[in-house]
Amino acid sequence: MLALDHLGGYPLPKAKGSLLQGTLDMLILKALSLGALHGYGVGQRIAQISGEALKVEEGSLYPGLYRLEQRGWIESEWDVSENNQRAKFYKLTRAGRKQLIIEEQNWERLAGATIKALRAV
Amino acid sequence: MFWIKATTRFICARRRPDEMMREVETELRFHIEMRTRANIEKGMRPDDAQRAALQSFGDFERVRNNCCEIRRRLPFDSTPLKMGLHITIAVVAGLAALWAVNVPHHNLTGVMRQLIAISVLACLFIVVRRARSARRCDSEHVCAAPGETSPANQSLMSDMSDAPSAKITAYDELGRTPVERVFKS
Repeated sequence: MLALDHLGGYPLPKAKGSLLQGTLDMLILKALSLGALHGYGVGQRIAQISGEALKVEEGSLYPGLYRLEQRGWIESEWDVSENNQRAKFYKLTRAGRKQLIIEEQNWERLAGATIKALRAV
Repeated sequence: MFWIKATTRFICARRRPDEMMREVETELRFHIEMRTRANIEKGMRPDDAQRAALQSFGDFERVRNNCCEIRRRLPFDSTPLKMGLHITIAVVAGLAALWAVNVPHHNLTGVMRQLIAISVLACLFIVVRRARSARRCDSEHVCAAPGETSPANQSLMSDMSDAPSAKITAYDELGRTPVERVFKS
């Protein structure tokens, strides 16, 4: 499982693997594109949609959420969770949806180019 | 709508930092509680489940401070605003200095005007100093103390020292580094 760490907008390699910069933001946006979630739920959903291959560390997840909210890509509101507890739920904004499309396109371009480079003989 | 929300959030964070911190703590505690529940569902004992949840969370204070720091930031790039403010302060200070130099010194009004000019300059100086020290305090709040490396930086440093690129030095066939090649050729 890859651990994602993020500092100041850039992920730092921590454990065995690391992902490219901006990945965490994209994953958070993707997780929230499927519906409003609290912070814990975001982490769980990322793990779930990646087939348990990615684990977002809490130390990176929450600053990431706050940063995205600051940029206007997500918004939050307090609500009651499934356990009847007060929790902060995040949801994607229109700007966030647009950003997700941009990030996905960039990522696909980059991944395609990297694969092409690796397969070059 | 976003700007209204962002500005309100920024003002609240600045005016009521304790409330903001409590809000962040509530959110983080909820996360730890959810993790604890998940651990209990996996079959762990409540004590162990909570301990494991706290352990997996890492440095609570650091995460909380990082979140608060982000919340305290302006919702836009404040560099032009700061630059404008500094230029205004410099212009006002310069005008005050000119005014102070040009006044006649032999009467009470002149002395009073000089004193006012000096006070204005002193106030501006204090404002700038306070703003700078507040900014430094904010950054020290989340970063490591001077002379001490933060855990995140330590992790980065260890990763960098492990990276093969950090160990590569472009020696030539005579064993010279690029700098030696330039200066000794």
